[in-house]
Amino acid sequence: MRRALLSALLVALPLHAASAADAIEVLPDASAAPAEAKQVQIAKMKFNPTDITVKAGTVVTWTNSEALPHNVHFKAGGPNVSKDIEGPMLRANQTFSVRFNQAGTYDYICTPHPFMKAKVTVE
Amino acid sequence: MTHAHGRSTGLPISRATMAGAATALALLLSATALAQPAGGGRIGGQSQPPAGQELPVDDTSVEQAPAPNARRIYVSDPAHFAVLTQLFTIDGDKGKLLGMSDTGFVPNTVVASDGSFFGTASTVWSRLGHGKRTDYIEILDARTHNPIIDIELPKDPRFLVGTYPMMTTLTPDNKSLLFYQFSPSPAVGLVSLTDKKLVKMMDVPDCYHIFPSDNNNFFMHCRDGSMLKVTFKADGSAERKKTQVFHKEDEYLYNTPAYSAKAGRIVWPTYTGKTFQVDVTGNEAKFMPAFEAFSDEEKAQGWAPGGWQVVAYHRESDRVFLLADQRAKWTHKSPSRFVFVFEGKTGKRLNKIDLGHETDSIAVSQDKTPQLYALSSAQKTLFIHDAESGKEVSKVDRLGHSPLVINTSDM
Repeated sequence: MRRALLSALLVALPLHAASAADAIEVLPDASAAPAEAKQVQIAKMKFNPTDITVKAGTVVTWTNSEALPHNVHFKAGGPNVSKDIEGPMLRANQTFSVRFNQAGTYDYICTPHPFMKAKVTVE
Repeated sequence: MTHAHGRSTGLPISRATMAGAATALALLLSATALAQPAGGGRIGGQSQPPAGQELPVDDTSVEQAPAPNARRIYVSDPAHFAVLTQLFTIDGDKGKLLGMSDTGFVPNTVVASDGSFFGTASTVWSRLGHGKRTDYIEILDARTHNPIIDIELPKDPRFLVGTYPMMTTLTPDNKSLLFYQFSPSPAVGLVSLTDKKLVKMMDVPDCYHIFPSDNNNFFMHCRDGSMLKVTFKADGSAERKKTQVFHKEDEYLYNTPAYSAKAGRIVWPTYTGKTFQVDVTGNEAKFMPAFEAFSDEEKAQGWAPGGWQVVAYHRESDRVFLLADQRAKWTHKSPSRFVFVFEGKTGKRLNKIDLGHETDSIAVSQDKTPQLYALSSAQKTLFIHDAESGKEVSKVDRLGHSPLVINTSDM
């Protein structure tokens, strides 16, 4: 069914495609995130904080702290995002980390909950 | 088209499988007749012309549906999320199937406020279930069933969801079509049927459903329990304003409210039967007192709404029809056997109709002596009742795989 296909797509999206040269560099796993990574919590259908400012080169780590799965989705066409970067669905206590290499504003949503909107500003 | 007989001289479109079958059958019969030996014998009870005379030729034609009236019904069969689906055109007066139209994946149906046309927002793929996706609007003439407008929607903006009627609507002047986009962000697409193009995707907050209150205003229902008013111009530029929150977070409103554009009335039941009503006349949302469809005692006995289109509203008599039954909690999409009738203004109960069959969706015609339409997905049958007495007057069966949605026009 189509829903199953969608789920498969979510899983299969190429997180490994990003490299250090990209503005948004997806880190391969949680252990790759440095201890000083900026933290964003996901709970009660919200990103918290919704708006953070970091310096270029900073790693941001998102942690889903509720049972409802969420992800981080930088949608192509938004400011400074040339192609879709759709993070995996995070279950409770799972994390997702990104290094921001270039200054700019990066809007993102949660794919199945598009009303969950937030942004990262990179100086 | 609706029906075709015999050797039709060029079917304008290849959409009606019944028409195709009728044509094939007629051709077969003609061929059989031609194959009989000449000589005046009686075959199949019919006289044959004497040798040397030509056989009569069937006068063939493509029929049109009669002029639409308030009892013209469109039943959509989303066919359990199949990619190819059908829309059935039915004459409520005669309880007769008039024709069929092919539709794509989870289509949304619209009907013009004067009944002159109907259409769908639909989705197809180049390889049936995969390949290039195309979202489009198709408008068909209500008499010929020929497509008169076809508009492709760029970037596949349709919200693919089990069909909620108020996710795609027409403005009262029938010149604009509005449809909902869920992902990547909530938006309403403004389609000009006059210019035959998508004008703009209008960004909206976290709100759902579209209730046009006039040709430049529509309302939506938001996650926080408020309504949103959107005022838009022909170029798609829009202003947005939220109302007060009108229901609590644990009051769950159905996905299929009833809306009378001519009355400016939204009727919106919850899973327990508490029924909210919003008056949007004058492009202002006025919240009427909500009424409880069921007493505490009835609720304790399990009475609650259930089905797909669970509510209908008759404008002239100001009556609310609610599909309900005794059920367990969280079975709100299961069919029901009863319709409860209420006075809209007061919420006073007027009647309880025993439909006599499991019903998924209801609707009413908007004439003076309305018909109550009760659609059974499992039986694939539309039952037509007198809305006053509740008596079943006719039915139309064999409506696809899993018919679910009823559209009529308040003309």
